[in-house]
Amino acid sequence: MKYFLSLLLLTFTLHPNEAQDIIKKIEKNLRGEYMYSTMSMIVTSKHGKRTVKIESWSEGNEKSFIKILYPNKDRGITFLKIDNQMWQYIPKIERTMKIPPSMMLQSWMGSDFTNDDMVKESSLEEDYHAKLLTKSGNTATLELIPKEDAAVVWGKIIIDVDLKNAVPIRETFYDDLMQKVRIMTFSKVEQHGSHMVPMVMELIPLDENKKHNRTKIISEKVNYDAKIDPSYFTKQALKRYSR
Amino acid sequence: MLFSLAVRNIVKSKGRSITTLLLSTFTTLFFIVYVAFMDGSHHQIIKSSVEAYTGYAHVNLKGYRDESGYDNLIENAERIEQILKNDRSVKAYSPRFETYALLSGDEKAVGSMIVGIIPSREASLSKLPHSLIKGEYLNDNDPNLIYIGSELAKRLKVDVGSQIAMVGSSIDYSIAADLFTVKGIFKTGLFDFDSQSAFVNKTYLDTVMLSQNMASYFTLCFHDNDKIDKVTTELQASLPEEVEAVNWKTLLTALVQAMLVDSLFGYISISIFFVVIFFVIMIFSYVNIYTRAREIGLLRALGLTSKDIFGMLFVEILILATVSIVVGTIIGASIAYYYELYPIVISGMAETYKEYGIVSDEMPMHFDLFTIAWNALTIFILNLAAIIYPVTKINKLTAMEAMRYV
Repeated sequence: MKYFLSLLLLTFTLHPNEAQDIIKKIEKNLRGEYMYSTMSMIVTSKHGKRTVKIESWSEGNEKSFIKILYPNKDRGITFLKIDNQMWQYIPKIERTMKIPPSMMLQSWMGSDFTNDDMVKESSLEEDYHAKLLTKSGNTATLELIPKEDAAVVWGKIIIDVDLKNAVPIRETFYDDLMQKVRIMTFSKVEQHGSHMVPMVMELIPLDENKKHNRTKIISEKVNYDAKIDPSYFTKQALKRYSR
Repeated sequence: MLFSLAVRNIVKSKGRSITTLLLSTFTTLFFIVYVAFMDGSHHQIIKSSVEAYTGYAHVNLKGYRDESGYDNLIENAERIEQILKNDRSVKAYSPRFETYALLSGDEKAVGSMIVGIIPSREASLSKLPHSLIKGEYLNDNDPNLIYIGSELAKRLKVDVGSQIAMVGSSIDYSIAADLFTVKGIFKTGLFDFDSQSAFVNKTYLDTVMLSQNMASYFTLCFHDNDKIDKVTTELQASLPEEVEAVNWKTLLTALVQAMLVDSLFGYISISIFFVVIFFVIMIFSYVNIYTRAREIGLLRALGLTSKDIFGMLFVEILILATVSIVVGTIIGASIAYYYELYPIVISGMAETYKEYGIVSDEMPMHFDLFTIAWNALTIFILNLAAIIYPVTKINKLTAMEAMRYV
């Protein structure tokens, strides 16, 4: 009996640990202390394609500063995220506004990302129980179920992982009714310093009304090594770095 | 013979007949007036809600009701405008462009609905211009002036003349931002609407949102809004396939259902009244019939069967009920008709209860022949049903028992 109990305990403890380890590795790889990047966001909708060029500075997962470079109409618009709050500065009207909670689920810059996607600090490692579903060679599939007290909106996430590079390949998001809501794919992995980074990320919403929609983010420059001036993460920066 | 016996009994016992007549007449009258008043106030509430902002019908792209974003906008508004212009059943129409944006006063930013309207045309479609409480309503040439709800003004801490910054998304999903000056503040009494809505001259808003020749929907009213289902279906036939016409019954489903529930409770309360009336009539008939026990016993002894007795008493109540229901219906229907044409006016009610969304001093009744007919029929059946028990009871007595009955 004791033998069976020990075996059972071993089964329960071994697998979650392995899955949790994989998640930990991915998060460690993707998240640097500081990160500077420039990227193009290509939003495809019923009305056609639109490209937005972005410059971004971030410190850990809590602070980030985003500046719009293109289109010219939106050039100089800046966003500041500190913890789970978000401000924006619009040069045309010279106003800084805090985005209220009621607007957090609105689309960010017309993309399939919401304002909430931009600010949330949810950590796959801290907020989810990971379970290894399959593993073969350098790929594995994990199932993430949110922890009871985690403030996350998903009911479940299934992640296909590239174990060699410690990057996700594909994430499928389910809502609380366990319906598939959106798929995010990652590709073109490049090495930047000690980090392996998927340079292309594509979000596909599965809602019937958004069947034409896609949001693709192509990273152009990525730098994990340079320390970022803390002045970027202040409200004054919104106006100061807008030009 | 039964009929003449019944008539003789009615004429002979004047007091009893008049009391029965009055009771039934009053019940009929009360029921008809109560239902007419209940239906009238429901019509008034719906009319207020429809006319406050929504409008009697909308013409929008199919799918707009489920997903009201920019993917479901009418992109050739002029074409729809021409169709509506040529439709004889349409009395007035106007395009609206609805979007959600962030509004900010000096301190606080609030998410709000911003609507581009043609101010002069809204006057015949909604109560927006009449809901003004401060400043001025918009006009068709206004530039960056905004007309906002009273609660929204409170949330933003702004007043007439204050500046409001707006940040939203234009049609091409680039950021749309502008500064507006508050021209007027309105209050419809619909709290959510007053705390989340702001209006701008559409011609100007179109330049900010890049929405020229586009509309979220057209709001419209017909010449004959009472036949809304018929005229909406007819209008649908002249619209392009991808566009739909929906009337207020769909647009205000929640309100329609609320009125239905309210009517249900209204009928439940009145049915309690009916139960009381039923027993009053029954007890009254019971007493009446038993005071005539000797007479009934005598008739039985003279050879009338219990069936004949039942027939005689039934004809009596039939005559009395018919007369009282006809009289009660004529008076009740006249009252309902009169107060539908000339509603009861409680002056100052709209002003006092403006906060609660009441935009009229009038409390009309609703005159509807079908409703009146079934109301009258209900009382008629109630009258007939009320004598079944006492008659059956007395018919169980033999002729001798009845004659000896004290």
